[in-house]
Amino acid sequence: MTLEEFTRIVDLYGAESARWPKALRAECETFLANNAPARMLLDQERVVDDLMGQLEFPGFPGLESRVLNQPLPEPKDGIFGELANWLLPGESFGKQIWRPALVACIPLAFGIVVANYFSFGVGIENDGFQYWGDELAMLSLTDYTEIRF
Amino acid sequence: MTDEELMQAVCMGDKEAYQILVKQHLKSISHYAYRLLGNQKDTEDITQEVFLRLWTNAKKWKSDKSKLTTWLHRIAHNLCIDYLRKHGRVQTQKSFDEEDFGSLPKTGEANDNGGDKLRLLQEAISTLPENQRSALTLCHYQGFSNKEAAAIMNISVKALESAIARAKRSLREQLAANQ
Repeated sequence: MTLEEFTRIVDLYGAESARWPKALRAECETFLANNAPARMLLDQERVVDDLMGQLEFPGFPGLESRVLNQPLPEPKDGIFGELANWLLPGESFGKQIWRPALVACIPLAFGIVVANYFSFGVGIENDGFQYWGDELAMLSLTDYTEIRF
Repeated sequence: MTDEELMQAVCMGDKEAYQILVKQHLKSISHYAYRLLGNQKDTEDITQEVFLRLWTNAKKWKSDKSKLTTWLHRIAHNLCIDYLRKHGRVQTQKSFDEEDFGSLPKTGEANDNGGDKLRLLQEAISTLPENQRSALTLCHYQGFSNKEAAAIMNISVKALESAIARAKRSLREQLAANQ
């Protein structure tokens, strides 16, 4: 083990050998016993660990009641709920005008889609194509030499 | 009730479930925010916003992907980082030094040597970059595993370990230099 490897273990797991990885613990302790810089590092780390344990946090008086009493909006309803909320008349004047107009557009758009599907479908175009195909075939069979002007 | 049941209740608009969750998680969230921001007022604002987001975005939490506390800490982390980017770190250090640690004995006029060291450590922590302060706080104070802390900070475990190692080295050096 090198001092760098030992330092990394101390950085990650602290000065307490019980928290070091089991697989490396014995090796670390042997290294520590024979290495003065490692012992100095461990002493410094103990000081940091102890002090960090002593640091206190302020109590934040009143924070709990502030969080509990803050005005809570209605929970979000997912994408369809959001869409419905957006479409329904809102509180501002602009939304009150705009949203009903948008709602009125929905059946119109629906009607266009349905009518397009049933009235201008692919079937009619196919029939037309077949019709013109038949016409061309008939024309090609016509003996124009017999036509007299 | 489990976190999952409480969150389902919150999704249905149950304010009692919200209150229970606030009481369960307020302390750890406020402490984490305080470690990152360094002053009481901003900590309270961010903590309030975290729980507002818990209420409004409850449906976004997936119990199979992360623990509720991890999700809340991630929200807190993102809010704190946004705040620090907007307001800079100078205010944070000033706050650590002048506002909230006035109760600690000042350097040179300490009642005992421990108070001096505590103040030095506090100052040293406040000068760490945000990612190191965050990594140290999550793993040392909040008790998260390296994997969970990395998920909160949205970095790899290797990057987290590197941040912790740098933070520890920096703290040791600063304390040793002042002894």
